[in-house]
Formats: sequence, structure tokens, C-alpha cells
Amino acid sequence: MFMNKRKWSNSILALSMASGLLLAGCSGGDETSSTPKESGGNSDEPVKITFWDENASPERTPLWEEVIKQFEEANPSIDVEYVGIPNKSAKSKYDAAIAANDTPDVGSVQTTWLPEFAIRDALLPLDDYFEGSELKDKINSSAIDFNKKIAQDSKLYGIPYAQNLDTIWIRTDWFEEAGVKEPETFDEFFTAIEKMTDKENGRYGYTIRGGAGGSFQLQRLMFAYSGLDYFDEDGKVNINDPKHVEFVEKYLSYYEKFTPKSDITNGYKEMIAGFDTGVVAMVHHNVGSYGEHKKSLEEGTFKTIPLPKTEDGKFVAEGGNAVNVAVFKNTENPDAAWKFVEFVNSVESQSLWNESTGQIPTNADVLDDEWVQNAQHIKVAFEVYENPDTKLYEPPFYLPDYRSILDNIVDPGIQQVMSGEKTAKEFLDEWAKAIEDSKTKYDETFNK
Amino acid sequence: MLSANKKLDKLLTLYLPLALMLSFTMFPIYWTINTALKPEGDIIKRPLQYVPANPTVENFVYAWTNIGFATFFKNSLIVGFFTVIIVLICSTLSGYALSRYQFKGKRSFMLMLLCTQFIPRAMMIIPLFIIFKNLGLISHPLSLIITYTAVEIPFTTILMAGFISNVPKELEEAAMIDGCSKMQSLRHVVFPLLLPGIVATGVFTFIYTWNEFLLALMLTNQQSKFTLPVGLSSMMGEFNVNYGALAAGSVIALIPAVILFAYAQKHLVNGMGGAVKG
Repeated sequence: MFMNKRKWSNSILALSMASGLLLAGCSGGDETSSTPKESGGNSDEPVKITFWDENASPERTPLWEEVIKQFEEANPSIDVEYVGIPNKSAKSKYDAAIAANDTPDVGSVQTTWLPEFAIRDALLPLDDYFEGSELKDKINSSAIDFNKKIAQDSKLYGIPYAQNLDTIWIRTDWFEEAGVKEPETFDEFFTAIEKMTDKENGRYGYTIRGGAGGSFQLQRLMFAYSGLDYFDEDGKVNINDPKHVEFVEKYLSYYEKFTPKSDITNGYKEMIAGFDTGVVAMVHHNVGSYGEHKKSLEEGTFKTIPLPKTEDGKFVAEGGNAVNVAVFKNTENPDAAWKFVEFVNSVESQSLWNESTGQIPTNADVLDDEWVQNAQHIKVAFEVYENPDTKLYEPPFYLPDYRSILDNIVDPGIQQVMSGEKTAKEFLDEWAKAIEDSKTKYDETFNK
Repeated sequence: MLSANKKLDKLLTLYLPLALMLSFTMFPIYWTINTALKPEGDIIKRPLQYVPANPTVENFVYAWTNIGFATFFKNSLIVGFFTVIIVLICSTLSGYALSRYQFKGKRSFMLMLLCTQFIPRAMMIIPLFIIFKNLGLISHPLSLIITYTAVEIPFTTILMAGFISNVPKELEEAAMIDGCSKMQSLRHVVFPLLLPGIVATGVFTFIYTWNEFLLALMLTNQQSKFTLPVGLSSMMGEFNVNYGALAAGSVIALIPAVILFAYAQKHLVNGMGGAVKG
């Protein structure tokens, strides 16, 4: 019995020692981002900066790794550590990091997040760096101005490295077969949906995004239809303008009649799969999904066209549809961080990045690249962005709950209208009220 | 006649429902494997291929080497293994105390254990992040091991207390009359009878750590320290999803769970039923 007891206690001891050793082994060579970094005053001293990618995926991660590799070759003293964050959780990851004061040095940040992060004092203003940089005359000035405009203190907190534009992807082969004109106006758009629907053969004219992210799609279509500003001159929100009610009523009434029944829960993936597998003739997304379509559809059977024009013939686009690189205030190596920001926005990096992801470069010099000249979808985006009559409306990204209103009121609201639980008017009134309430609170806080 | 009826009965009440249930549960798994074995172009091609026309393992190779599943897998195993060990030791001992001893405040203690289960995980993220940051444990497997252990212990303690109550106290007393010490009677009498419960609790804990996403993402700021669910999730970008690699990654993530269940199946059924043959 004594022996047994000893054996027993020995084995516990051994186990705990082994666990300790193994755990210690796991920590070997660990350098967390919380570890104090070397001060980077001297440019020869090796420094390490962390970079967070807000939209990691098997396609994008290798691109970032390539950009980082090139940057490190050009700047041997700076080591960049890449952290890829799944897109769905990226905002909450940033939120937690900001709350705990443990932000990365540089991050890829969507324009809509910039105002909020700036108010929370997480970002470093980049105005001085930008003014003194070669980038000043290269980066699309309207995108830069937009980023300044939405910040509460009108400072520049992010440099846009890729822009995007909502467009409609169409199956050109089906349109030709049916002899239907590619829609340029909203009347033609609705007619095309009707004509391209052939339920017996399992084909629909269009697919509505009724699930997650449907709010973005609807908002952009509504304003493209009306050509209105987000707020009128008196500061009243235009969401429930009669023009918008008229549009939403008609648009969502097409559900099930001319679009698949499953649309009510359509997220991005489902919607794009519908187009790529030959179920729908048109899908409203942006130029960024080019790569997905290319994978499943044959060249020449699809293309992208701008959103239909307003009644008076103007293109409308939502401002701020861009991704930026931002430097976080906590960085101990702001100069190294800025160097990386500059590198990401250089002609080479922007060209590599945007060609592979199918997005629109912001660096003017990239536009001369051959691939831009050969990419139909990028040319369409330029056609819209460079048209002097194109109207850019500005959603109130600066409202801290702008995004949560879209996610929690607008997304479910769309489903309720689609399923007939609510009228378009009730839904838009509710949406307008949420924005107005939030704006009142914001104006009070900042004494506007 | 009777035996024919019996056969029919068995078919209708046993085999048919089982077959139905099996097809429901197996279909997604079959589809995942099917997708994982297809080259990228074939995955969303119509008509659908129910058997891959050009089977390939390229997705597995890609997920394992290019995306870093080998690392994620190792991280998940480390976190899972140590969490299970710590949880089992703690919950067996505390479960024993709860089941065998009467002490003041026992009921309110049990209630407190239950109450911890009502706190939404998302609420704990920022406080946990700050605590681990101050400890210098962000991106360290220990942060996850500690968190998972703390999250799991209340539930597994209650579970274990239930299993231990099923072991007749008289067996322990008999062993002690025969000269065993408390520890010896625990080791030689209680533990062997408790094995199904321990296996069930261990499997339960392991599966939780294996699947947990939110805390794993939040407490890790280094690509090389991500666990499997975080790695899987970063396969789905906003504009592109690599279905093949995602499916291959899911299959890889499924393997340990399947092996574990296959091994623990017998114990698990006993454990869950709480039936201990004394």
C-alpha cells in the first residue's frame, strides 16, 4: 500500500512537471504585442511593427504577405508582423483592442470606422506626414477630403489604399439571347428583371440581398434612384422621402415574383453563388466580386454595369466606400508605421493589391498600368468616379451607432417588408427616426 | 407470422428512424468531404457533382501548408489538452466535495456555480483582455487555457458531483474498513467506477475548447497562435470564400473529435446515463 501511495504521488508530480515544461515550451520565443517595443528614434535600430488586416482570406493574406516582404526588403530595419482577422469579427477585435489600449501599430480600417476610432482617441492624425509625403499629389483627393470631412475634428486619420464601387453584374450571354437591353435607367432595370425571369427554367432576373448586409445594398440603390443628399438643408434625414418609399415599395415587391424565394436570408455568399451558378441574371454587388465570378463563369459571359442613373441622368455613388491604412496612437514607432503606410500606397503595392483583389486603386499613377486598361470592371468604376456630374452622397458614418442601426434596424426591417409584416413606409419611418435620434444625440454632445 | 411481424416492428421503430436520423446528420459531413475533394472549379458547378469527378487532395495540402492549419491544429491541441487535464483534476475533486460532504452554504455555492453560466461570454472579453494584457499573456496559450478552465469548471463540477453521487458510499467505506486510506479508496475504488464520468466530462471539455471561437480570436494577436476555429473563420473573406480549403480545413478539424468520440463512445454512453454498475 505504501508503495502504491508513493507511486501515485510520484505520477502526479511527474505529470505536473511535464505540464509545466510543455507549457514553458509553448512560450518559447514568444513576443506578444503587449511586450514593450524598442523605441524607434534611430532608423538603423531594428524595430518591429504589427499590422492588422481587417479582411483576412486565402486570397488576400498572401497578397499582404507579399507586400510586407517587399517592404521589409526595402527597409531591412523594420520588421512587420501580419495578423489576419476574420472580416466578421474584425470590428469587435478592434473595439476590444482600443478598450484595452493594446492596438496594433498599423491597421487596415474601413472608412466607416474611422470617425468612431478617432473619437475614441485611438488613431494618430496623419495630416503632417501626408503633407510632407510624395503621396500628397497622388492619392485621389476626393477620397482624402472625404476622410477628413467625416472626422469630428476634420483631421486625416486614414489613407485610402483601395476604393470600391457598387455596380450591377449581369450575364451578357443571357441578355443577348433574350434580346434585352442592358439597363441604364431604373425603368430599364425593372423591365430587365421582369424579362429575364424564366421560372420554369429556374432562372430569375435578379436577386435581393435580404440577409446580412442587405441594408448597404438598399441604401445605395435608394439614393441612386432619388439622387438626394442624406440630409436636407434643414438637417432632416431624407431616408423616408416619398421618392425612397416609392422605390422600396416597388423594389421589394419583386421578391418571389421575379427573384428567388431564398432571397429573404441572402447574405453576400448566397447572393453571389446565385449569380455564379447561373440562377440569376443580375446581381447588385461591387467591383470587388470580380475574382469570384471569374472563377465560375466563362470570360465574355458576364460584365459589370454602373447602378442605373437617376431620372435626370446622373450617376450616384456612396462616398467613403474605401479601405484605409491607419496608424494607431499607441505606436512607439510612428515613423516606421508611416513608412509602411506610404509603402502600401506606393504604385507597386497598390497595383499588385488592386489588380489581384479587383478593387479600384487610389494612387493616380496606377491608372496607367496595363491591367487597369484591360479590366472592364475597373474602367466602369472610373467612368463613374471621374464623371463630373456623378453625385457622391455622404452617409453619417460619424454617428457612433450608424452601423448598428443598419445591422439591427435596417437589415431586419428589409426582411419584414419582404415577408409583408411591415409596409415600406413604416420601415423607412423607423429607419429615419433611428438616424435622427442618433444625430440629435451626436449634435448635443459636440455642440454642433 | 409472429417473427415476420416482429421484424416489421423492428424495421419501423428501429431501423427506419435510425436510418433517417443518420442521413440527416451524415449529409452535411458527406457534403463537406465531397467539397474538400473537388478542385476549385468544380465546387459550385451545375449540375452538382455528388461524387467528385476529379478527386484531388490539393485542398488539404493547401489548407495544411499554405494557410497554416498545421500550426492552428497544434495550438488547438495544446490548449485543449491542458484545459482538459486541469478541468478534470479540479472538477473531480470539487465534485467529490460537493457530493460527499455536508457543509455550510453548500446550496448557495451550487447556485453560484450555476449563476456563472448565465454571464454572456461577450461581456467578459474586454475585462479578460485587460487582465491578460497586464499579465503579459496575450497571444499565449495560457490565456486561453486559464479562461477555458474557468469557464468550464462550474459546469463540469456539477456534472462530476452527479457522477460521484452515483458511486455508492458504502463501497468506499468498505475499502476503508479493509485498510485503505481516503486517497487509496478514492484511487482504487471510486476512480475506476467514475471512469465513464471522467471520460464524458473530458470529452465535453475538449469539444468546447476545440470549437470556441470568440475568446480565442480576442485573446490572440499573433497569426502563429491562432486556434483552429479562428483559422477556419479567416478562410471566409468579405469578397471571397475558398470553399475547397474551408471544407478541407473543416474535415481536418473534425478528425480529432471523431477519433475521440470513437474511442470514448462506450464510456460516454455509460457516463451520460449516469449508470454505474456497483
